Amino acid sequence: MRRVLFVFLAVLSMTVASNSRVRAQTPTEPLFSRHVVPVFSKLGCNSGGCHGMVQGRGGLRLSLFGADPSLDHERLLKEVAGRRVNVLEPDASLFLLKAAGQVPHEGGQRTALGSSDYQILRNWVTAGAKLDPVAKSNVKRMVVTPASQTAKPKDRIALKAQVEFVDGSTEDVTNLCFFEVGNREVADVDVHGNVEVLGVGDTSIIVRYPGQVGMATLVVTPAKAAANFPVVQEHNFIDKHVLNRLKVLDVHPSELCDDATFLRRVTLDVSGALPTADEVRAFLVDTKADKRSRKIDELLSRPRHAALWATRFMDILRVTGFTPGTFPPNTYEEYRAYEWLRSRLLENVAYDDMVERILTATSRDGRSLDEWAAEAAADMKDEINRQQPKTYSARKSLDVFWKRRMTTDVDHAIRVGHAFLGLRLQCAQCHRHPNDVWPQEDLLNFANFFMRVPHFTTMAGPRNKADAEVVAALKTKAKDLPAKGLQAIPKHFGDREIFVIKNKDLAEKTKKAGSSFFSSGAKSTGFATVTSPLGTQSSRQMRFLGDSEAVTANDDPVDRRAFVMTWMRRPENPFFAKAIVNRVWAHYLGRGIIDPPDDLSPLNPPSHPELLQELSAGFIENKYDLRWLHRTILNSRTYQQSSMTNASNRHDRRNFASFAIRRLSAEVLLDAYNQVAGVDVLFGKDRVPPAMPSGISLLEGASIFYRGDSSTTFALNTFGRPERDVEVVCDCERDDQATMLQALYLANHPQARKKISASEGQLARILQRHASMDQRITEIFLATVSRPPTPNEMKITQTHVQKAVSPQVGCEILLWSLLNSNDFIFNR
Amino acid sequence: MKLHCQSFQQNVSRRAFLKLGGAGLFGLTFAEVLCAQANGRQPRARQAIFIFLAGGPPQQDMFDMKPDQPLEVRGPFRPIRSNVPGLDICEHLPRLSRCAHQYTVLRSVTSRGYPLAGDHHAGLAWKTGNPRALRGTPKYPMYGSVVAKLRSGPSDMPNFVAMGDVASMAQGLRENYLGPAYDPLYVEMGSRDPRQVDPLTQIIVPQGIAPAEFSRNAELVRSLDQQSRQLDAAGPVISGMDQFQQQAFDILRSPRLREALALDREPRQIRDRYLVEMQGYGRLNYTSRVLAARRLIEAGVPYVYVDFPYWDWHGGVAENNSAGMASLAGLDAALSALLEDLHVRGLLDTTLVMALGEMGRTPRMNRNGPAARDHWGACQFAIMAGGGVRAGQVVGATDAQAAYVRDAEYKVASLGKTMYHLLGIDPDTELHTTDNRPLKLITEDVPLIREVL
Repeated sequence: MRRVLFVFLAVLSMTVASNSRVRAQTPTEPLFSRHVVPVFSKLGCNSGGCHGMVQGRGGLRLSLFGADPSLDHERLLKEVAGRRVNVLEPDASLFLLKAAGQVPHEGGQRTALGSSDYQILRNWVTAGAKLDPVAKSNVKRMVVTPASQTAKPKDRIALKAQVEFVDGSTEDVTNLCFFEVGNREVADVDVHGNVEVLGVGDTSIIVRYPGQVGMATLVVTPAKAAANFPVVQEHNFIDKHVLNRLKVLDVHPSELCDDATFLRRVTLDVSGALPTADEVRAFLVDTKADKRSRKIDELLSRPRHAALWATRFMDILRVTGFTPGTFPPNTYEEYRAYEWLRSRLLENVAYDDMVERILTATSRDGRSLDEWAAEAAADMKDEINRQQPKTYSARKSLDVFWKRRMTTDVDHAIRVGHAFLGLRLQCAQCHRHPNDVWPQEDLLNFANFFMRVPHFTTMAGPRNKADAEVVAALKTKAKDLPAKGLQAIPKHFGDREIFVIKNKDLAEKTKKAGSSFFSSGAKSTGFATVTSPLGTQSSRQMRFLGDSEAVTANDDPVDRRAFVMTWMRRPENPFFAKAIVNRVWAHYLGRGIIDPPDDLSPLNPPSHPELLQELSAGFIENKYDLRWLHRTILNSRTYQQSSMTNASNRHDRRNFASFAIRRLSAEVLLDAYNQVAGVDVLFGKDRVPPAMPSGISLLEGASIFYRGDSSTTFALNTFGRPERDVEVVCDCERDDQATMLQALYLANHPQARKKISASEGQLARILQRHASMDQRITEIFLATVSRPPTPNEMKITQTHVQKAVSPQVGCEILLWSLLNSNDFIFNR
Repeated sequence: MKLHCQSFQQNVSRRAFLKLGGAGLFGLTFAEVLCAQANGRQPRARQAIFIFLAGGPPQQDMFDMKPDQPLEVRGPFRPIRSNVPGLDICEHLPRLSRCAHQYTVLRSVTSRGYPLAGDHHAGLAWKTGNPRALRGTPKYPMYGSVVAKLRSGPSDMPNFVAMGDVASMAQGLRENYLGPAYDPLYVEMGSRDPRQVDPLTQIIVPQGIAPAEFSRNAELVRSLDQQSRQLDAAGPVISGMDQFQQQAFDILRSPRLREALALDREPRQIRDRYLVEMQGYGRLNYTSRVLAARRLIEAGVPYVYVDFPYWDWHGGVAENNSAGMASLAGLDAALSALLEDLHVRGLLDTTLVMALGEMGRTPRMNRNGPAARDHWGACQFAIMAGGGVRAGQVVGATDAQAAYVRDAEYKVASLGKTMYHLLGIDPDTELHTTDNRPLKLITEDVPLIREVL
């Protein structure tokens, strides 16, 4: 093995010229793979926006993030007649001239003449611009020190990055790494890894070296010890963890919120509805100490709680896209899935069982062809009779999940990873994400668990004997369907059955079925394959994410998806319980303990690791009981804090020192609007799709609302209902932004405006029931913002209402105003 | 570490950024504004009108005529001279022939190599400047949404107004990675389709009350909000909503937007220049959209989208009363009047006008009738005018049958890049997708169309 000779230069004009705190050294004989490519990465040359683009940029093409040093070397030396690298006159090398901004460069000046980066590139040219044996430079591991540190503002910390290569050699690569601070209010870092501590809080610092990424974490405590931290009552272990961190940071928590605020908040968060005026009154006069806990329990048992989470799971599972290319999509399948989920949540099925019934779903659920056909036929009848999919929702497993587009092989592994593990693996299809740990191999190995679930993607009708038997069985069982329904069976049956195929039949079957039978990957080999602009990769191994050992499975007729389920259920699984715990937490607290909540990358550390650990362990101990999880969080003091901030926690976002105000989500807000107005969704011109019961609320039906042109659709889209596009791998598709159109909708949409003065609506009832204006005003406040008016509000309102042409108009104006007020639009 | 645009945005999620939006300009983060503007050059164009000729307007029957070819190629129309030497255009575009010095014809911008090129879905690329497909690619936003994000006009005007359906035949276009925040405000000018005059268009007219009364009511909202604001520190989430509500209320309080859309306020002799009556076809309402677009530009709206169908001429058009002839006459009247009016009002220099379709038409006619041609992706035309565009020229050249580009071929991305450049928006500005992937406004590495600058 060639020993690399490093001459450490203590004093050189260039190091003096650059930052005086440079600690690592510049090799005089740099290696292309270990030094030059890292410099390209550090300077951003090979990023996706520059030369790392698939087609390159400005004529030069480098492999993305330096994934292929040999190719980079070849392009650098052989293209444009060798002008890029000039061994005889290194400073005249075009790539150096460009990087140092000596000649015009679209990407600007990336480094300075004489900087250590420049010197590495130059030294490499001087030494002959050779390509070293690349394989030896693969990194085995990277160690960043100090890995975690507690510090005070104005401290300085020198990070050091050390890598061990596969050939056993090690090197300090601090100067070759790219450093990035997660939370810039807490610290800053320079190109040499010198961290400057700025403010109190915590942050991660990502350290990147090609093919590797490491992390350091930093907690910054105030310079002076906390003296007057308020005494607050912990409700449960959640508060212990949250308060411990707040004490360390000397950030004071907000007060407990008042009863009216709590009631409105918890009713919206748990059941997606407003409390009624009567409920508010009853809650306010209740004097028992446990009234909040009792309210929580009561709300968790409401059907709307199940509806709310069925909607959330529809978002997470992205149940759309059944008939590719048709618009609008087949909404009936969505409704089936929604009703199935709602039924499970109403039963409060253990979360791991629910996931198992989704993840390992088959159409027959282990039953005979006859039994299955009977169920499918009954379900078809539901559909044709425009009833709710009650047959389907009683099924054991959710095979609709597997009937979507992109539910085979690698595509599906990505979707399973996101839905149940909170991981974003999509970048690994082409390359390793610069801020994540998954190489392509991990994705492919995981995908191999999902390679044997066939499903039809055409409606071409039966193709072989087995198919014909299925059709015959369906026809027999469905013989009392109307003729039109019967005729449709051969055409649609392909959309109906999901099954697991034996391994040895795979190749044969794929060949026979042709291209429309399976989605891409499986066609040729039956093993996970990805093809991207950066090349094709395939793997035959099965391995769980984060595991080092491969799984051996001999075979048929084992459903390999069950292995994944077993792995997920291991108590030490790093993702499965945490993913749902973190999502539920984020639902209630406005931000995840890991945030974004669906990014459980090891490089996106939790703000409160011990809290996440204890909450997840408790969830598992309580047999994956979702209601336990909801109840535990809701009963915490942390959830019940006021959104009013104090001087010390005003800027805190990460430590849950106050309640995070948020806009009501699309369905909840529009349902609340209808609830206040006292009209249902069918008001006026709106209509629900034929399969839905009339008078259904949006939360209970929005999952399948026809996505065409109607004012309800407009409203849902305006407030950010997600499309649930199968291709999007992000919870953030549900949009919580505020927009001008939302304000315009609430202020002046004709449909919304009419609801306020509807003769059968709530306002009409209030006017009829209450004669005094003060009473009317109070009732309107209770109905919209779930509290009586303050004396000041009462005064302002009275003055304004008096100016109106009639009491009725005055009350309409008040109702309109409150529906446009922040107190209505936000949960606080 | 130095705070350049990219590193600043990298580690912060899209939503986190947007939530901070309240602190900046209508949900637009300060860093994004700075990054977008710092790199852009001093722009001449401040506003834009995008006229989408839905369907494929035939290049060889309009702006790239080939009179020497046999009848089945050259088609039934004859060229006439324009006032720009060397540019002959269709005899049914007489008014445009007299103002050719005000626009530039691009004959060499193509969607060749893009997903769905040569089909209606290619609108996904022509309206976004990026290789967007129905599936499998990022959901690139429309130009107008990007401009709406990076620009804002007067406080009582929306940033992006659309007339007609922005998606037309490019399904799914409304969905984009910016989310609904930068969707256009749809307004409609006397459409025949009752669905389109539905609430969406009424949303800008105070419902059931006089504007003065609306203002009073808006004050009640404000004073109630202020009451509760004293109770807790208004976070960025709330102040963001407050700003949007302010804009919405301003739009409702101010008569300007409604007046801009009240076409009957336009002097008759000016309005009539935009209108076309075709015997047996009635009045073509799309042309009034162009007039409305001009009035919206005058009122300060940064970006106006006009859907101007219908150019799907598979079935023959050259009879006097057919829809196709009406479209030709309508475009001739409306576009020429628009350019003239913008010029007279001193707005042409600061308003970029573009007109294009989603594809071209086959070199040979099919058998369905005169000028009946099918879809063709390799060649089409685009019109650019105003906003600092060097007008009165032809860019690029096609072969003898207007089938393939022979000279100065540009991709759709180049057109998009040039448009942003003219508007002073750096096309390399990075925005973040829902996957938090940084993407430049124009993702491909393409040249600007230097000829028009």
